[in-house]
Amino acid sequence: MDIAFLIETVVKIVVILLVFSALAGFGTYFERKVLAFMQRRLGPMHVGPYGLLQIAADGIKLFTKEDIVPQNVVGPIFKIAPVITAATAFMAAAAIPFMPSFTMFGYEVHPILADINIGILYILGVMGIGLYGPLLGGLASANKWALISTARAASIFISYEVITGLALLAPLMMVGSLSLIDFNNYQVGGIASWIVWSQPVAFVLFVIAGFAETGRTPFHLVANDHEIIDGFGTEYSGMRWGLFFIGEYANMFFISFVIAILFLGGYGDGSGLGALALLAKVSFIFFFFLWTRAAWPDVRPDQLMWLCWKVLMPIAVINIVITGIVMMF
Amino acid sequence: MSLEQFQDRNVAEQNYFHVDIPDYPTTGWGKVKRAASRTFKGELFVGLWVVFREMIKFDIHTVQYPKEKLPVGPRYRAVHEMQRLFESGTERCIGCGLCEKICISNCIRMETKLDENSRKLVTDYTINLGRCIFCGYCAEVCPELAIVHGPRYENVSDQRAHFTDFSDMLTPIDAAISGTQKEFDGFGAVTPHEDERVKTTPLAY
Amino acid sequence: MENNITITIDGKEIQTREGEFILNAARANNIFIPAICYLTRCSPTLACRICLVEADGKQVYACNAKAKDGMNITTTTENIETEKRAIMEVYDVNHPLECGVCDQSGECELQNYTLEVGVDSQSYSVPDTHKEAVDWGLIHYDPALCIVCERCTTVCKDMIGDAAIKTVPRGGDALNTDYKAQMPKDAYAMWNKLNKSLIGTADRSDMLDCTDCGECTAVCPVGALVSSDFQYASNAWEQKQVPATCAHCSAGCQISYDVKHTDIENSDEKIYRVKNEWNYVSLCGAGRYGYDFQNADAVKDETAFNAAIAAFKKADTIAFTSSITNEEAFILRRLKEERGYKLINNEAKVFKTFLDDYSKISGQQLYGADLKMVHASDFVVSIGSALKTDNPNARFAFNNSITMNKGAGLYFHPIKDPVIDGLSKNVMSINHAPLQEETALYLMLDLFADKENLPKDITKYLDSFHSKKMITIEETIKEEIIEKVMVKQLNKETGEEEEVEVEKKKMVPKKVSKEVEVDDNALLAQLGAPADFDEKLQKFLKKKEKFSLMVGPDLYTHPNSRNLARLVALVEKYTQFELVMIPALANTLGVSLICDLDEEVGEYTIGYNTKADFTLSALGDGDLDMPALNQQEGTLTSINKRVNPTNVALSYGGYVLNDIANALGLDAKYTIDYTKELGVVKGFSRESFDDLPNHYTNSGEEVRGYLLKRIGIRRSSNESVNELEDIAIQSDIVYLANPVLQFTAFTNASHQLHGEGGLYGSEAFMSKHALNAGDKVNVKTAQGEVRAVMIHDNKIDGEIAYLPTFDVNLNSEALFSGYRFSSASYTKV
Repeated sequence: MDIAFLIETVVKIVVILLVFSALAGFGTYFERKVLAFMQRRLGPMHVGPYGLLQIAADGIKLFTKEDIVPQNVVGPIFKIAPVITAATAFMAAAAIPFMPSFTMFGYEVHPILADINIGILYILGVMGIGLYGPLLGGLASANKWALISTARAASIFISYEVITGLALLAPLMMVGSLSLIDFNNYQVGGIASWIVWSQPVAFVLFVIAGFAETGRTPFHLVANDHEIIDGFGTEYSGMRWGLFFIGEYANMFFISFVIAILFLGGYGDGSGLGALALLAKVSFIFFFFLWTRAAWPDVRPDQLMWLCWKVLMPIAVINIVITGIVMMF
Repeated sequence: MSLEQFQDRNVAEQNYFHVDIPDYPTTGWGKVKRAASRTFKGELFVGLWVVFREMIKFDIHTVQYPKEKLPVGPRYRAVHEMQRLFESGTERCIGCGLCEKICISNCIRMETKLDENSRKLVTDYTINLGRCIFCGYCAEVCPELAIVHGPRYENVSDQRAHFTDFSDMLTPIDAAISGTQKEFDGFGAVTPHEDERVKTTPLAY
Repeated sequence: MENNITITIDGKEIQTREGEFILNAARANNIFIPAICYLTRCSPTLACRICLVEADGKQVYACNAKAKDGMNITTTTENIETEKRAIMEVYDVNHPLECGVCDQSGECELQNYTLEVGVDSQSYSVPDTHKEAVDWGLIHYDPALCIVCERCTTVCKDMIGDAAIKTVPRGGDALNTDYKAQMPKDAYAMWNKLNKSLIGTADRSDMLDCTDCGECTAVCPVGALVSSDFQYASNAWEQKQVPATCAHCSAGCQISYDVKHTDIENSDEKIYRVKNEWNYVSLCGAGRYGYDFQNADAVKDETAFNAAIAAFKKADTIAFTSSITNEEAFILRRLKEERGYKLINNEAKVFKTFLDDYSKISGQQLYGADLKMVHASDFVVSIGSALKTDNPNARFAFNNSITMNKGAGLYFHPIKDPVIDGLSKNVMSINHAPLQEETALYLMLDLFADKENLPKDITKYLDSFHSKKMITIEETIKEEIIEKVMVKQLNKETGEEEEVEVEKKKMVPKKVSKEVEVDDNALLAQLGAPADFDEKLQKFLKKKEKFSLMVGPDLYTHPNSRNLARLVALVEKYTQFELVMIPALANTLGVSLICDLDEEVGEYTIGYNTKADFTLSALGDGDLDMPALNQQEGTLTSINKRVNPTNVALSYGGYVLNDIANALGLDAKYTIDYTKELGVVKGFSRESFDDLPNHYTNSGEEVRGYLLKRIGIRRSSNESVNELEDIAIQSDIVYLANPVLQFTAFTNASHQLHGEGGLYGSEAFMSKHALNAGDKVNVKTAQGEVRAVMIHDNKIDGEIAYLPTFDVNLNSEALFSGYRFSSASYTKV
């Protein structure tokens, strides 16, 4: 291992951490603005021009707010849970190629932290670990709402892991690799070669599962404010709660990248335009998250389970079978 | 006025109409059909379209409150004010205590005494705004149009007492003399055509 | 008082008694007839004329028309409605529209009847005059508000007896004569009278000269007469009424303390005024103005309480006054039973001894009558009481019986009292020397006893005072004369008035002298009775049916009180007189019945409201605070032998006697738990406090507490009494009594009555001793000496001065050996 690789890796880690944290912050700003505009409101307006500094204000607030560890909670677990949520979101980002490789000062930079050949497996695994945040946090909180939220989180994560996996199996079969760069390269031939066209069902299933795993409307059941307060986050305050928050938004960006790379052609041929296109795709998917929140109602937990096991899973299996048959002949 | 709608006490029937919702499917096939129709009907996209359309139109209705304020109606019942007589600027309150009596949340208290001119003097008067429900009875019952509701609804302060002191509620003397004191149009104000309803009393001089 | 006739009012048959006014009969049966000027127990004034009814087809005034058997009465006819409407319109003429600030604040009969009759427009007018409001000390009069219903003058004359206010000319323009033709008859007549009068002091001076009872302010239907102190202090509707019993004297008047929060900052309740059911009970000034005698700011001082418990464990004597409730007296009785304390209360002790001696002859535990019977009687005698100050209600009864029942009265007391003399010309005062109360009682026996049945030796003894003598008397005979007078007559032809000379026959009194042999009664001479006593008495006794005798504290403290008690019993037994004894203090009767009192004081004394080695005081000046009587609930036994409940008007934060009793081994959660246990005392009932009512019904029936049971006592056959001893008090005399408006230190603790006591003397006394008001005087008796300020009291006369007990700084009781009179020497300092 040479020094340059080490420096490059450390720089990339720092960049990912900073960028994703910042994105989580801007994510909240965009969410508030988009929702407001869709509801004929203005959204945050007072802090900074057009409320731009609202993020800073919120950040300062979260950092300086008293960290309350309530009575009867299981202290260490209660404290570690938010870290798990945020950490898994950042960890998952390690296998994502954010941009095509480029040369800087005569040094070729690969904007991917770890181009591992089982990238997708890694991503699915780390997303699975993400369950531990809500699970531990909720169980340790000594709070009924948190407990209900935990139960929901566990069932949703476990169920929709199945959908994610099955949905991805068909494209995997087509690409024949678990590396995300291979996925990107598979779709390099322009819009027509995007996997979304050959695997529309898998795309839809993956997006639905993505919504479920990030806990966004219409599957916002883990922290459904009007029935279980903030779910597993009920007893949290200050920066610990902030970590859950960052985790949620980082996850949204991360899922957006994954969808863009797996189905929507990624950064394409590696040109600057391709890189911009990736950003545009990610932005649209993120916007879509917000858009649905403004437009759609939430489903009930039982409906969510019903959807998973009785609708999505059979469809996913059928999709694999059909893909297999098509590939065979 | 027709009292029909009040006399018809069959709440289940009146003013209700049934939304045309098909019955829940009982057979397995029916359920599949329903799931399919819901999935492909495109209602979800209508929702998406509606909010997207509103975003594009950018027809914002927000009133940026501290900078912009909506106009307050003349009968708005906010923090009380004590009026003065025009020209002389004397307090209108005669200390009759009717507001104290009628107050249903029991938040008005006053103290009166005999002053050196043998008149009733209000020595102290408070309204506990923490209890006040702004019903307007005090303004309605006041025979002198002295206590009225003002338009000031922003009663945030580090001391509630800032709003309950008689001298704070009283119109500033210069406002009364210059005639800028505003009459209250709400509860208890003189109604139009009041003159026509007054009966004359014979006078011997 | 039995209902013996039936009348019909508006189709409703009601039972009432012959001669009852229609208005009272209707009120007793909850039939509403409007009336503004009428006062129950007083004479009808016919000022308002609104009580018009139609009786057997004839329009009469319900307040002065008497019910006859079978009478058919209609309360409303078209004409009556027209009259009522006109009357109320007239009352509203020029009445200031200041209801918003008026002190009556809605408790206004003018307002009520104006609305009741439905006056919504005015047809009459007369030019208004400017009338200045006047301050009469405790009473404030605003003539602008006055509707001249004359209730104040009526009550002052018929009930109180001061007659200090009367109607005076109003001034201003006369009514427009056109009205006579236009207006309903009664309304015009009433207006015509109203428009000529106002209320003013009887002597037309600037200051009201009366005993300041304030009853005129209570009866005033509008806000014209109000208490000066209450002026603009609070609206009536803010006040919460606490039904209570006045704690100052033995009359036990029903009052209501009007309480409200003190001010904006302080939510503790404060008494703003005292009200009474003026139709059925009249208050004196002490009751009305002496209400805030509470022991304020008392807290649970544990150190003091522990000291009190230690003191109680050490003590062998408890001294107390009679300003306590029956329950507290009962606690003291129980403490005596448990721990063997000696109970000392001289004033109750002498009363009890007097009652005991009286019982031996009368065979009754208690005297037979009450003040209500005095009200109903027509010949009243008072012996041994400074009536107007010992028990003002007894004075009201005395006056009321004389004015309302065409009665007469005798007043035996050493101190000349202009108030009593002024009640009526049918009152004779006999200002005998002190110690001669016994003689007065002998005189009662001599004058009124049934000599046939009276024990022979007494008859014989009485006869020994009589002798015959010749006197010249002037007799008035009537002679008929004829005289010519000019009379104004209406000439029917011209319609004008002209003077006509007519002859008139007239009876003219003429005086002739005559010499007759008369009986000379040595008792009269001994009492210093006026020379025309016999003659006047004969006049007084004409057509008299009901007789009452009131005896007062002078008798109980008399050196020969035991003999006096027997004489009193004999008077009750052998004459037609009904007997009332006036207990000295608020609960003297209750204490004397409940507590077994001792005479000997032990070594270590606890004083309750009296200074001792360890003092419990409701005045707040002792070692441990106690609640005053307006801060505790309990019962008081009144002169009317009634056990009256009183309620808590003001909060009290300290310890009560019951706490001490509990710490000493008794067990009761509240003091009033003992109310029920009072049943073990002879005469009391086993009723719990919460079951005791406290109100009057519309018919005037007193529904308050319960009456003491009549308890028979074994009568002794020995009815002998001692003969008169030749005893007298030499030199100058001082009396132990309180001025008007004062009873005890509690009345003095109230803010309106607070003052400094002194030596009270009449003009005659001051000129005799060359003293002026304000001088410092040393009063010296055999018992001791005090220095007091000379105060002029125009409510007494004669050469006897008195020292009050209300001022604790003036230890006046130490000067007296028991009897309320003592010889004294006065030196100016």
